[in-house]
Amino acid sequence: MRINSLAKEEALRQLVSAEEGLSEAEAAKRLAENGFNEIREVHRTHLSLRFLSQFTHFLAILLWIGAGLAFLSDYLHPGEGMAMLGFAIVGVILINAVFTFIQEYRAEKALEALKKLLPFQVRIMREGKEKQIHSREIVPGDIVFLSEGDRIPADIRLLESSLLKVNNASLTGESEARLRDHDPFQGELIESPNIVFAGTTVTSGSGKGLVFATGMSTEFGRIAHLTSAVESGLSPLQKEIVKATRVVATIAALVGIFFFALGFAIGRDFWDNFIFAIGITVALIPEGMLPTVTLALAMASQRMAKRMALIKNLSSVETLGCVTVICTDKTGTLTQNRMAASKIWTDNRTIETKDYQPQNADMLMYAALLCNNARIVDNAYKGDPTETALLRLARETIGNVAAKRISEIPFDSDRKRMSTVNRIGDRQYVFSKGAMENILPACSRFLLDGAVQEMDDAFREKAIAAYHQLMDMGLRVLAFAYKEGSGQKAEGEGPIPHPPVPNPRSLESDLVFLGLIGLEDPPRPEVPDALTKCHGAGIRVIMITGDGSRTAVAIAREIGLVRGEPVVVEGADFGKMDDRELREKLSAKEIIFARMTPKHKMRVVTILKEEGERVAVTGDGVNDAPALKKADIGISMGISGTDVAKEASDMVLLDDNFATIVNAVEEGRTVYENIRKFITYIFASNIPEAVPYIAYILLKIPLPLTIMQILAVDLGTDMLPALALGTEKPTPGIMKQPPRPRTEHMIDLALIRRAYIFLGPIEAIACMFGFFFVLSAGGWTWGTVISPDNTLYMQATTVCLTAIIITQIGNVFACRTSRESVFSIGFFTNRLIFFGIAFELALQFFIVYHPWGNKIFTTHPIAMSIWLVLIPFAFLLFFAEEARKAVVRRSQSARSTL
Amino acid sequence: MCHTADYPLPWHLFGGILCITMYKKILAAVNEHLNSEVAARYALHLAKEHNAKFYICFVAEKCMSQHNCRSAEDAVKRLFNEAKDLNVHAESIAEMGDPVADIRKIVQHENISIVFAATRREDVRRRFYSGTIARSLSLKLPCSVALVRVVHSGRVHPGKILIPLKARIDHVSERASFVAHMAHAFGSKVIVFHAPKPLTKFFHGEMHLTPPEWEKRTSQDIAQFIEYLKRHDVLHEGMLLPGRTARNITIEAFAKRHDLIIMGASERNLLTSLLKGNPVEEVLRNTPCDLIILKPRHED
Repeated sequence: MRINSLAKEEALRQLVSAEEGLSEAEAAKRLAENGFNEIREVHRTHLSLRFLSQFTHFLAILLWIGAGLAFLSDYLHPGEGMAMLGFAIVGVILINAVFTFIQEYRAEKALEALKKLLPFQVRIMREGKEKQIHSREIVPGDIVFLSEGDRIPADIRLLESSLLKVNNASLTGESEARLRDHDPFQGELIESPNIVFAGTTVTSGSGKGLVFATGMSTEFGRIAHLTSAVESGLSPLQKEIVKATRVVATIAALVGIFFFALGFAIGRDFWDNFIFAIGITVALIPEGMLPTVTLALAMASQRMAKRMALIKNLSSVETLGCVTVICTDKTGTLTQNRMAASKIWTDNRTIETKDYQPQNADMLMYAALLCNNARIVDNAYKGDPTETALLRLARETIGNVAAKRISEIPFDSDRKRMSTVNRIGDRQYVFSKGAMENILPACSRFLLDGAVQEMDDAFREKAIAAYHQLMDMGLRVLAFAYKEGSGQKAEGEGPIPHPPVPNPRSLESDLVFLGLIGLEDPPRPEVPDALTKCHGAGIRVIMITGDGSRTAVAIAREIGLVRGEPVVVEGADFGKMDDRELREKLSAKEIIFARMTPKHKMRVVTILKEEGERVAVTGDGVNDAPALKKADIGISMGISGTDVAKEASDMVLLDDNFATIVNAVEEGRTVYENIRKFITYIFASNIPEAVPYIAYILLKIPLPLTIMQILAVDLGTDMLPALALGTEKPTPGIMKQPPRPRTEHMIDLALIRRAYIFLGPIEAIACMFGFFFVLSAGGWTWGTVISPDNTLYMQATTVCLTAIIITQIGNVFACRTSRESVFSIGFFTNRLIFFGIAFELALQFFIVYHPWGNKIFTTHPIAMSIWLVLIPFAFLLFFAEEARKAVVRRSQSARSTL
Repeated sequence: MCHTADYPLPWHLFGGILCITMYKKILAAVNEHLNSEVAARYALHLAKEHNAKFYICFVAEKCMSQHNCRSAEDAVKRLFNEAKDLNVHAESIAEMGDPVADIRKIVQHENISIVFAATRREDVRRRFYSGTIARSLSLKLPCSVALVRVVHSGRVHPGKILIPLKARIDHVSERASFVAHMAHAFGSKVIVFHAPKPLTKFFHGEMHLTPPEWEKRTSQDIAQFIEYLKRHDVLHEGMLLPGRTARNITIEAFAKRHDLIIMGASERNLLTSLLKGNPVEEVLRNTPCDLIILKPRHED
């Protein structure tokens, strides 16, 4: 039992209130108990704490320990430069924290947009007097007055109503205003005509009601809570990064500890060992990975914006790439939302609208013209797209008709029909239009070739068959009827300010059936191709529409959304299904949801996510916001979307076009592929950074590479070439592969093998060769101790560093593809690579030849001839990798032949 | 047969099968606030279901204004009349003094089985209810206590009751019995809800399990609870949503428009609550519908 089912007196008794309203004392008490009537944000972790948490994850803790030990060793052994290292490590933590935070940060503004929909002042009755108060002060039990233009401040049970019409668009997405009344209603509270909800607007009429829910207890509060509390969780990329950093940090820490123990066992000095342990840990941690990922995502989001997809939080870029299901609206997204009348069924035949020949006093066209609330303003049709299409058809067919509307029974989604009473000349007519199942039963006669005949089963069957035939063409079909001489008689010629309320039962009975008009909303031309791409890419597309099932299926077939016999779930059945049943339905290959409202979307998204799908969902209304938040990718409409939907979404479609989603998915997949490319590139350089330390501890040679030099590579020279790899074009066929499964990881064994066992060792050989080449040319002999400020030693470490830079140039080209030859995609097709290399070389020149660079990185200028000695290693790496790819290709094609 | 204290047990154990007897005497504490009246209506319907005697108790504090006293007395009268309409044997008690001490005395003197009291908004504002009448009643009364938070006056009789359960439940039989009788009293559907902690591995992060996979991990206590509902013909449904307990409970209640939540009182002490948070308190703050927090006192 709910308040909507109670009689007015009983409702007042339940809330211990009266028609005179509450006393001020009682209202104050209730305000203290219930709190203000306002939208509150769900408690969340403060932004500053969210930022601070970036300093406490596993990798950061490891680095903090490293920095702490570096500062401690500088304190105990001053002059070894350990403090500088400590600062550098802290810098790395800071940079990583900032870049991770940028990726995860998302401004929560949806609630602000929601709050704007509530009013400021309301008229209420207290202590028997009418007064105006701030809407936040109303309490359950208050009596509120409503009139045209008012925004409704709380959930209210109507006690009185006079032609009260409320636009529930902010709650239900329905653009049509609905007529409300105050009689008890035995049904769901949300569908009750005697309830008006907070955040909706009175479009006409007036009323008085009893407040029964305020603030977050209202339906509006419900949307606000769900919008604010529902989280889609970490994106797949964020999860992968967490995994990757844990794996890499653990490997680095274990290797550091292992070699520290080994060095200790073979009798090396404690401090040497200590420097080594920190060095190898720093070398194995790819410090530049997070900043590069973030920057690559930012660049991808720029590219997407050019393709009409505005990305609101960075990690969504990649999430798009692994979407497995897209739940999409139909109207405006798959179709153009340009409704046009296309077919007419009358006099037992179906004809094109262009071939329709009007008769004298064509009642069908009169009904289309007069039972219509669309209007012409400045030569443009304004109003609901269906009504404007009918108005256009009628005006183009019969021109304007001098008629006067006497009264109207508005369209109601429960009755699914509307009626008007019009006077044409000295005659009065009732015109009705609506869904076939609601018009035909109200007709006792039909019009055939201008003559009214008694309705019989044969005609009914013909009409229903025609109705199905039109719907099967993907048309939205409306039935029309009329009768003469009913309704209230109007007096005078001027407009009637308060027309009498017609009785629907008597008015909408004994009608004459006129015919059917089928309206077409043409599909967007790009959509069929986009859907073909989706099918090829293994992405399921689920249409969720308010249209009837036949129309939905026909449209779905026309655009290629379904190929077989889809499972169709209608809104009414949906509400009755439990989760298990719905789960089964959703496992079908092709499924369409028809006669649905936005409130159903969140349930569909939740179940799909529970089943392990990665879900993108489109939405434009206020009550789409929770589903948009829940989905992995919430997509709002830039043109038709409300501010609330836009704020709650991850991506805004600037053109409302489904094809743009598919383009964005392609971009997302490319981003993932490119991230793997530059991670391979970055990881490969970890080996030449680590090998010098292993050689240092095992071979008892001078340290070939300092920690600062490692950081120069990881956070300096590697960055721009890696970013350039992030802008590679998609590999052909990227949209012909199925979505990446959950079990597939960004950093997998194949990537590790390629970077650590193939590319990295070639670079390590180059850097160790360069180091020994300079030392031996300078007269160093094995076992000789050499001081850190010795020029020869500094030149040797500089050459070691330069060797890494040079081989990384070969590596950046090698990493452009994973299997195909680089020559097959065009050597010069990514110009940013060349900019990256230019930057890399410029930075290396600064490090090697500028006094500041020498000071910071303890380097020393080297002869240009040394560069020439190192360059062949870059070619060696590149061609060795080309050879490996050729072998891989050959073995793959051999396997596929078998 | 198991005994705990000097008040009547609501059920007995026969050969390991729980046989429910009824709450014989149900007391509702009423004050000048509307929410106490709404809370008392839950007690009244439960009393009808158990065929129990219904006590309507108002204890006026010394500092209470005449106006508030009158409001409370009016509420008592209204409830008394409602009880009469429902054919429930009712008795009203009005006293002046300390509410907690006086109610305790009444409970002991009348052998009350369960007390219903409404929580106040100011209780919710205080952390861990410290120093509130609700907490004192919950701690000091020698019988079961149902604290009711009233937030929505439009749902007069609950159609859907959400029952959040943790994996290990104490007093499982009393809880199940309470829920079953509330469901019968209002003809409601029960949704048994469990929000397990997400499964995580250090290198793998959070593991994704589908609902059927989660169901396989359902604890014995929850299974026993559901079995109880089945045996007593309560229309019910199970629901699993891994994640943060309190947030998931409120999201579920908001999303599916549940009318009432019944959950067990928190067993976390101050330190645990500070370290791990307190889901009951969080739900109490954010609940979209009325909430009953049951502190069962009768042993299984």
